[in-house]
Amino acid sequence: MMKQFRTILKFELKDFFTDKKFVGFTLILALIIAVVMFFPRFSGSISISDEPVQDMNQDLPIMLVHSANEEHGEIVKQSFQTVFFGYKVTLYSGEASDLEEKVISGEAACAFAVSGLDSYTYYVNDLSMYDSNTAHANDAMSIYAMVQSGMTYEEAARILSGAVHQEIVTLGKDQTNNFFYTYIMIMVLYMAILLYGQMVASNVASEKSSRAMELLVTSAKPVSMMFGKVIASCLAGLTQLTVIFGTAFVSFNLNRYYWDDGGIMASIFDMPLELLLYMLLFFVLGFFIYAFMYGAIGSTVSKLEDIGTSVMPITILFVAAFIVVMMALSSGEVNTPLVKACSFIPFTSPMAMFVRIVMSTVPWYEILASVVILIASVIGVGYFAAKIYRMGVLLYGNKPGFGNIIKMLRKK
Amino acid sequence: MQLTLNQIDKSFGAKKVLRGISLSAEGGKAFGLLGRNGAGKTTTIRILMNVFSADKGEVLFDGKPIDYTKIKFGYLPEERGLYAKRKIFEQLVFFAELNGLSHGDAVASVNRWLVRFGMTEYANKRLDTLSKGNQQKIQMITALAHNPQIIVLDEPFSGLDPVNAMLLKAVVKEEIAKGKILFLSSHQMSYIEEFCDSIAILNGGQVVLTGDIYDIKRNYPRNRLVIRSTERDAILAKYQNACKLCEDGSLLLTLASPDEKQNVMKELSESFDLDEVKVFEPTLNDIFVEYTENAI
Repeated sequence: MMKQFRTILKFELKDFFTDKKFVGFTLILALIIAVVMFFPRFSGSISISDEPVQDMNQDLPIMLVHSANEEHGEIVKQSFQTVFFGYKVTLYSGEASDLEEKVISGEAACAFAVSGLDSYTYYVNDLSMYDSNTAHANDAMSIYAMVQSGMTYEEAARILSGAVHQEIVTLGKDQTNNFFYTYIMIMVLYMAILLYGQMVASNVASEKSSRAMELLVTSAKPVSMMFGKVIASCLAGLTQLTVIFGTAFVSFNLNRYYWDDGGIMASIFDMPLELLLYMLLFFVLGFFIYAFMYGAIGSTVSKLEDIGTSVMPITILFVAAFIVVMMALSSGEVNTPLVKACSFIPFTSPMAMFVRIVMSTVPWYEILASVVILIASVIGVGYFAAKIYRMGVLLYGNKPGFGNIIKMLRKK
Repeated sequence: MQLTLNQIDKSFGAKKVLRGISLSAEGGKAFGLLGRNGAGKTTTIRILMNVFSADKGEVLFDGKPIDYTKIKFGYLPEERGLYAKRKIFEQLVFFAELNGLSHGDAVASVNRWLVRFGMTEYANKRLDTLSKGNQQKIQMITALAHNPQIIVLDEPFSGLDPVNAMLLKAVVKEEIAKGKILFLSSHQMSYIEEFCDSIAILNGGQVVLTGDIYDIKRNYPRNRLVIRSTERDAILAKYQNACKLCEDGSLLLTLASPDEKQNVMKELSESFDLDEVKVFEPTLNDIFVEYTENAI
């Protein structure tokens, strides 16, 4: 039995590693990541060349400002220029009603009509979702008011920039730091399980439709076949991820110096080892539980065309888990009752518990409980999957419905 | 070596597929497994090979329950198919290893068989680049490479050209000569008659006839005579209802009892100009049709 398992594992792994598409895709992806990581090294040397800063001023978009109080025109312009260094701020001395037209015609990127110390109108063509100009304009208005009451622009700007000394003592997890790599890891977990899981399903189905199964079932035990296949694709997936992330890690560290603002980048690559191990654990367990189900479903299909509709329920289950986790992650509230519940349900816990561990402080016994439930479920699902597989591989013709599958499980 | 199936029952859901199948095959001989489509041949083979277990009954090897970890089977399924996209050598070694050979033995054995079947040049080709007949030879190697004690061949000769069929026949005869137990399932009765000493005819999940082919034929009522003659019409006129004209132009004369045989033959040879007269022996085909056309 062990020998059979090893033979199948070897055969399946060879299939992955001699597959030109698999190897090519992995290498190309690794190459692209390496290129991205090396990019700042070369693009950095270009921007260092000392171009006159003034020249760049001319390329800046134009922002028109208009003051209702004409005497304050220059102060308003200066106040806005202090805040908007991304724009070339120009004082418009015509009628305020002309501003609209100037923006529409594209003469100016945007315009502000200041009607008093505490009110203005903002003209812009398309208001972007991320437009922060009004927030900046509020600052500019404060500067305007402060200058008006006798301060210099520098003093006003310093007050506004709020050079307050702050210190954050994080007692639990630092969400801001962990967010990006959690995001990336969840995406990776999601894609890897979905991709490789479906690969297991179609591999089983193609063995069946090519009738290689006729010979396989007489030569090997279904459990060996199932485990050989699932573990082979798990190893192939891990290898692929290791190559891709390894390349990213090495090439980032070679170029760390050039990623000057590298806050996000550095936070991704400075991930604590502990979390990486958790990721590995949840990846493997999550992968197994889904790959077993995919394998079992694959065995009930006689034609490759049917595989899409047959695996749909599992895929939907998995996508739902993904959405719940993603929504929790982006709202930052990872300890809602829903996510907590999900972190113990075996089909959602690989992602949900992982997010909770990374983004909040989870008591050790909850982690242990979740992992134990997951491991027990992997064993259970593996056992039932092998049973379905055993019956499924010999069934041709109509694919069995859900009821028939349950019947198969109940039979010895 | 003797393999015995004893009173095997098998149902799938409410459908009874096998009902009390019993048969016995010996080493050094080929056993023909016959039956119409859906008669239960494949299910019998699968139970024999432990793909699933029987509901009732037992499989015995030399009188003891068979130990599947020791007894190896070689199987050529009727539905052929291997990994289309994998290299031939690779998958042959895979199946040989799966059936218990070490890697080294598997490589050596596969190489030997590739030479025997004249397929060495294809070893590193993908399976789907081969013609159907050549694919079948490759599939045949998966059944033989691990040197099994029991070989089950389901329609081994279909789709082969005469030269390849001869090659395969020679191989099958060699395997039988090595003392192995060979099960041969085919609808081509000529092959069964050529190879098999014993047969079992399955119909509706039951063995309707089993035994030595020669005995089966001998035990058929010997009350019919086949006559070839230039005076067909005269013979027909004389024996009237007892005699009928067959498709091949011969006459079949049915006697009231086998005891009359000598007298009638004498009478015929004295009265008519005969080319040939002999006792009718049914072909396997006749027997098969007789036992399977009605039931199920």
